[in-house]
Amino acid sequence: MSQVASLLIALPLISAFFVPVLKRIKQSLIMPYLILITLIQTGIAGWVFYEVYTTGKPIIIMAGGWRPPVGINLYIGPFAALFVLIIAVVSFITAVFSVKAVKVEPIDKYAMLFLLLMLGATGMIATGDIFNLFVFMEITAITAYALTAYNKTGEAAEASMKYIVLGGIGSSFFLIGVALLYGATGTLNMAHLAELSTSINPIVAQVGLALVIFGLAVEAELFPLNAWAPDAYQAAPHPITVMFSAFVVKAGLYAMARILYLLQKANGWSSVLRLVLIMATLTVIFAELSALRQRDVKRMIAYSSIGQIGLIALAFSLGTQAGVDAGVFHMLNHAIVKAMMFLGVGYVGITLGGTELEKFEGLGKRMPLTALALTIGAVSTVGVPLFNVFWSKFRIIVATLQAGFIWPAILVLFASMVEAVYYFRLVHTMWFSGSGERVKEGWIVIFLLLLAVLVVAIGIYPTPAWEIVKRAGSDIFAVANYVKNVPLMGVIQ
Amino acid sequence: MLKRVLAIITILIIGYWLAEGLANVPFGQDKMLVGQYYLNHVKEQTGAVNAVTAVVVNYRGFDTLGEVTVLFIASTGVAALLWRRKRERTAKTPGSVVLTTGSKLLFPFIVLFGMYIFIHGHLTPGGGFPGGATIATAFLLMYLAFIVYEIPHKGFETTEGLAGMSYVLVGLIGLAIGGYFLFDWIWQTWHWGTSNLGRLFSGGFIPVIYTIIGIKVGTELSGIIDNMLKEEVKE
Repeated sequence: MSQVASLLIALPLISAFFVPVLKRIKQSLIMPYLILITLIQTGIAGWVFYEVYTTGKPIIIMAGGWRPPVGINLYIGPFAALFVLIIAVVSFITAVFSVKAVKVEPIDKYAMLFLLLMLGATGMIATGDIFNLFVFMEITAITAYALTAYNKTGEAAEASMKYIVLGGIGSSFFLIGVALLYGATGTLNMAHLAELSTSINPIVAQVGLALVIFGLAVEAELFPLNAWAPDAYQAAPHPITVMFSAFVVKAGLYAMARILYLLQKANGWSSVLRLVLIMATLTVIFAELSALRQRDVKRMIAYSSIGQIGLIALAFSLGTQAGVDAGVFHMLNHAIVKAMMFLGVGYVGITLGGTELEKFEGLGKRMPLTALALTIGAVSTVGVPLFNVFWSKFRIIVATLQAGFIWPAILVLFASMVEAVYYFRLVHTMWFSGSGERVKEGWIVIFLLLLAVLVVAIGIYPTPAWEIVKRAGSDIFAVANYVKNVPLMGVIQ
Repeated sequence: MLKRVLAIITILIIGYWLAEGLANVPFGQDKMLVGQYYLNHVKEQTGAVNAVTAVVVNYRGFDTLGEVTVLFIASTGVAALLWRRKRERTAKTPGSVVLTTGSKLLFPFIVLFGMYIFIHGHLTPGGGFPGGATIATAFLLMYLAFIVYEIPHKGFETTEGLAGMSYVLVGLIGLAIGGYFLFDWIWQTWHWGTSNLGRLFSGGFIPVIYTIIGIKVGTELSGIIDNMLKEEVKE
């Protein structure tokens, strides 16, 4: 029965392949079709989530019926179940949003790429095989390149070009890293790799891990390799920006954390961890300082999103259970808040024709509900108590201090203050300056308000979310448990 | 100048670092944990004589499904980015008679050879991707030799989609019959061709999937060529 969960991969694939056929039948059916498929995907993801969290056992999908490490397995544990659900829900919301936001032709190609972006992220999070991870990473990355340039403006082409060059270099590094790890162990399965990790030569482990981390850092937007991100966020169609921020980055980050913790028994592991810690701290500082001087709101929130990603990476690089839990909690909160922010900003962008700061003057009078959602998002991101991000930020900083890293904690707190400055400037612009006539707001506001309610609900009553997140976090941290759950064939002779 | 020197020094450092890592990988020693399993069991478990195709399509078929998707994305992406309302080929110089006649004559042979490659994927080196690429080469030849040649778009796009769907469908039939996605039902449930090892009608679902991949890759690469050769026409 549990093998049916492979529909999570099969459904978006077969639906994407069906679009060219559907286009021949009737062009205007494509957008409703996209919404329908993402809705079904949400249903399947919801069922998987329920299944995993009630039985407490991960769903292991064995492709082709081969037991790992001979075949490829998908591992849908608590973490994957949670994030596959988030991916499906966010995709559904953005699919609905796309109907209004994407008018540029060719719509059929947009629908295919949209479905495959969802598929790629789902696969990255669910896979239990390191080369399969590479394949899904390529699916995600190449759809992301194409969708970034989808608007066909000069700006979008440039952003996509930067992304494609950096992404290409990143994935080749990743592939070399995988080759080294395969050369050292003779297996590609993650659980098997974790079992064999003690026997890897320390230099090989270090070089291999560092290459893998560097490759994934492009997707995960860590400091020296994230130059593409603000441009891509700004130039991509509005719904795609929501997807980038809500789950594409998360998939990269998760993959990074998963591989790091799989090899925690390997010699030389802690120095790689320190590398990630430095990259993460620098990401937070640079992104927040860059956000401070942006005049375009979409770009500003893009930088803010990168800063938050740095915070999650910092939590993952601490090497403690508390840190990983806090990181996963922040991933969940960030997905909700940033999906809401980018939806709101994108909605303003298509209603008022641009996302410059001037367009947001008097938004509180013109589009009060959108402005309300954006305000809640802004206040929450800064980390004000009674909003969800406060709890995860607080836990990350506590975990950092517990792990004995005083300087990163101070720097990150400083960055939060910078964040407060530009977010409150935005809030001020929206409510206390300018004026204007009331603009009619469409039904997309319903989604914005639902997300806003979620933000406040988790903020006031964080325990249920925290319980879920703790299980998801131990899924990453407790590798022994992970290995035990994968039905390995044993060491094959 | 300074930039170049710095770049060379950085590359040398990275190269040394990589070499250091490579030097410690035990090449030549027996590290074939999973590899040995494939070699020992490939014939009776998959029916393929070609171990590489058995690994690529059967044992690790999930990766191949992903790679097919990557190519699909590439062709869709190119089509999306080069999309204009009206586009035409604007080549000016026609090829010589020798070139056009030669291409016309060669075209069926190249297509035939491409089909040979993907149909015999489980027996000889090659498979769906090289076979499909060979077929696309035939279309490239037609594009280069003639200034007005165009592939039938509607048919090609639909075929591409249908081929992709059939790959997933074969996998889903496996889920229904054998209980696993991408399960080789032809070989493992029906035992079809088990006495025929090494001949054309064996290899479980490998030839079926390779035919699908061959068609898909052929149409996709031809579509990319078509998109890249056309320019926008202003009315």
